[in-house]
Amino acid sequence: MKSLNGARIRGMILRYLLLALGTVIFTLPMIYMISTSLRPNGALYEYPPRFFPKWEALTLENYGYILNQSKFYVNFLNSVFVSLSTITLAAAVSSAMAFVLGKFKLKANKLIFGFIILTMIIPGTTMIVPQFELATKLNLVNQLWGLIPFYVAWVIPFSTFMIKGFMENIPGEIMEASWIDGASVWTVYTRIALPLASPAIASVSIFNFLTAWEEYPWANTVINDTSKRTLPIAIAGFFGQHQFTQWGYVFAMSVLTLIPVVLIFILCQKFFVQGLTAGSVKG
Amino acid sequence: MVTKSRLNRAQLIALLLPGLLVFAAFTVYPIIRLFWMSLCDMSFSSMLTQPFNGIANYKEVFQDQTFWTVFVNSIVYTLITVPGQMAIGLFTAILLNGIKRFSVTFRVINYLPVVTSWVIASLVFRYIFNTEGLLNYFLWKILGVTSSNIRWLDTRWGGISVAMILGIWKGIGWNMVIFLAALQQVPQDLYEASDIDGCGAWGKFIHVTLPGIKGTILFALIELTIGGFNVFTSIKMITGGKPAHQTDTLLTWMYYKAFSTGKFGYAAALSFVMALCLGLLAIVQFRMMRNRDN
Amino acid sequence: MRTRTKLLAAMLACLMFLTVGSAFAEGETVTINFWHHYSAQSAENETLMNVLIPAFEAENPGIKVNAVSHEWAELHDKVLVSAKSNALPDVARCDIAWLPEFQKMGILVALDEEMPDFAEVSGKLLDSAMSTTVIGGHNYALALNTNSKIVFYNKAMLEEAGVQVPTTMDEWVETVKKLSGENANGQQVWGWNEPALAGWNICPFIWSFGGSLTNEDQTVATGYINGPATVKAVETFAELVKAGGITGFNSGDIPMTDGFGTGRYAMMLEGPWKSAELAGAYPDVAYGTAPIPAGEGGSISVLGGEDIAMFNTANKEAAWKFMQFMTGEFAETEMAKCGQIPVNKAALESETVKAADYAPFIEAIQTAKARPTVAAWSEMDNDLTVAMTAVVSGEKTAQEAMDELAAKWDELLK
Repeated sequence: MKSLNGARIRGMILRYLLLALGTVIFTLPMIYMISTSLRPNGALYEYPPRFFPKWEALTLENYGYILNQSKFYVNFLNSVFVSLSTITLAAAVSSAMAFVLGKFKLKANKLIFGFIILTMIIPGTTMIVPQFELATKLNLVNQLWGLIPFYVAWVIPFSTFMIKGFMENIPGEIMEASWIDGASVWTVYTRIALPLASPAIASVSIFNFLTAWEEYPWANTVINDTSKRTLPIAIAGFFGQHQFTQWGYVFAMSVLTLIPVVLIFILCQKFFVQGLTAGSVKG
Repeated sequence: MVTKSRLNRAQLIALLLPGLLVFAAFTVYPIIRLFWMSLCDMSFSSMLTQPFNGIANYKEVFQDQTFWTVFVNSIVYTLITVPGQMAIGLFTAILLNGIKRFSVTFRVINYLPVVTSWVIASLVFRYIFNTEGLLNYFLWKILGVTSSNIRWLDTRWGGISVAMILGIWKGIGWNMVIFLAALQQVPQDLYEASDIDGCGAWGKFIHVTLPGIKGTILFALIELTIGGFNVFTSIKMITGGKPAHQTDTLLTWMYYKAFSTGKFGYAAALSFVMALCLGLLAIVQFRMMRNRDN
Repeated sequence: MRTRTKLLAAMLACLMFLTVGSAFAEGETVTINFWHHYSAQSAENETLMNVLIPAFEAENPGIKVNAVSHEWAELHDKVLVSAKSNALPDVARCDIAWLPEFQKMGILVALDEEMPDFAEVSGKLLDSAMSTTVIGGHNYALALNTNSKIVFYNKAMLEEAGVQVPTTMDEWVETVKKLSGENANGQQVWGWNEPALAGWNICPFIWSFGGSLTNEDQTVATGYINGPATVKAVETFAELVKAGGITGFNSGDIPMTDGFGTGRYAMMLEGPWKSAELAGAYPDVAYGTAPIPAGEGGSISVLGGEDIAMFNTANKEAAWKFMQFMTGEFAETEMAKCGQIPVNKAALESETVKAADYAPFIEAIQTAKARPTVAAWSEMDNDLTVAMTAVVSGEKTAQEAMDELAAKWDELLK
């Protein structure tokens, strides 16, 4: 018995050691990014290269530059506007779709759901050419709000799929009672289905927020004006200036961009796990 | 029942309609349009006329040497990153599944790369893998395992490798979370039964764990395969396709053809081939999943 | 938990309100969209945003300028794509090499036909620079600035290696080899930096070696781009790359200015803006300049420069005012302070320009050649990069790669 215990303890220690090692490898790139953002631009090609800057060389000048000189606020607010609009609209339309598809037997259900699955299979970027043409026809090129319908359309399949799964699990009896009371579809949707499905909607919204917050290829294709750029394009733009890259600025801006995301992630961790696992375990 | 009434039907449609319209206009229509575009001559010079061109674009795609280069790049990227992140993710999940303290802490930290945006993560990796960067210094001057700076970003397979390492690094957290959830659903008594049969840890993994999480493995396989072919931002940021398009993938090459040379017809044909292949692949994978369920 | 959610919702609502508010708070004036490729953190961009545009807007109440900075290659692509999506800017600063392509697409305004005072405006600019705007007998732009590239060398590195500034191409090969190797830290150093393998980078060598890209009429490439002198130039360049003498065009390389500033690249071929850039980022590095070494074809650099063009979707009246302003004496003099050589005759006479010592560049411009002025140049340029990449990586010999390139170019030049 004793030896078994010993083996167990050894196993545990090994587990923790491996996990700790993994964690170090996971976080090194991020720590390096932060440490680079804290050193002066001139020290970037110092020899030997350092993982941490010298203590006395630590500086906030990159952050000062980003906050004062660049259009960071504008880019930040642009990203906030686009992301929040996307998640709000996506939550509204896809929860309604999920409610109808999950709770009622319409003839078109199969067809609609088939299309939803189909579009989940095709990588989004493959459609960039016809979507660009569409944006041109609708005059959505170089319009900040013009990003929103495209983002909403992108996240609808995944959102509907997830929320539908949740709606299906709402017991029929709860709704049955309302029907007998003569409630309308709208009432049942807003009073019963929505509140019950709110955890699913919340976790889907977090994913949608991330999608919209970090989207790069599409925004980079349709947005031109500096004042309409979202954060990813702004960062890429800082980098893209050839001949000398000011990594300090790039990474200071990156850190500032990541803060809201990491905060949301840590605060809403529970919803994250829920959203992720709902799809996978069900299959 | 009440649902059959006219009024309710109208309300149902009213609920469906907004989502369906957006979805149809901005996703379904472009897919159909994509197919049509792939059959038209759509270069900058024939912008306005867009004459029907038959399968000429497809011919051009398949006769293009660069297409085959980027095709191989995408295949290699997917073949390596998908099993790579699944294996490491599953391993991490198994480690986490057996511990109580700090489990949440590890989970949160390991998930952080997933929420880091592609643009930022790509730039960080580009910086680390610079020829004069930290990693080369570490490998050469501190560990002494190399005898010169490795030109990571300058060669075809070097550049692809960096993108693959990034892809795996960024994907492990996602795999870890879904595998952890799957592991927690494997009935505990199966493990106990195998204990009695005298199975070792490896035996348990093969005979109990793997069959127990088969569904999740297939799910991850489908999702990650799609993701693997969708690789775009990391290549664009890390190598930009350099040298001479040798590190481009299907999508970055498609994008280049469309938005730098104006060959929209060519790009549409390439996209359509890709969508078609992935669609077929996913159907096969779905079938496999369904067979397992029955 | 509940209150936290509510608080969060309230915060989000506030933020959204703020952003929507800022998005719609625009007045009723004419806005000129001006696209350029002054890099976002450069002195040029500072001057544009903080000096020129405010001055223009003060002079022209009712006109606002929305300046957008794109990276060089991206500006070219964005213009092409925007032409397709009816989202062209009013005015753009274009590399002189792009004009034929844009003109062929029919998106440029023929200024000499549409602007009654064109002759008066263009008369203030150098004729040689204005000639870059002529296609098929019409002027499609105003010249904005001109430039060429000359050798920048790190004085200390040349002294240490005990070598002189190369004046011939044979000397250049030897000098680059001598300057390359390792420094005291054991870091690799290179004798020459070349940040890309495109026409802008390779043409000076081809021409100086006595080679050429096409015939005089720009209709045939075979016999020129794969001619013996061109192949010799490409071969020499590629051998120096393989010998570790030249680098800079790889994704993993130290960027040009940083490498030169930190003593990792001993020499480079660069334009007048480099002085301002070095003064800003690496004020301590002591460098000198010299003309590009002469080969059998002489000392031939590449003619660079930008024109300012108007697109046919523009608000023509306001755009024309802005173009006149940008090519006027005040703007050209201000830009001259950041390394943009003026083409405005009055600005060239100003004290600022005389103090800037552009003499070596202006001398190089006298003998510099322009890249082919054909609509297909961008595509040809890309082909050239692909071919050069194959040669420097040893995948193909110079002759093989240039033969293939010649066949491709012949098609494009038809």
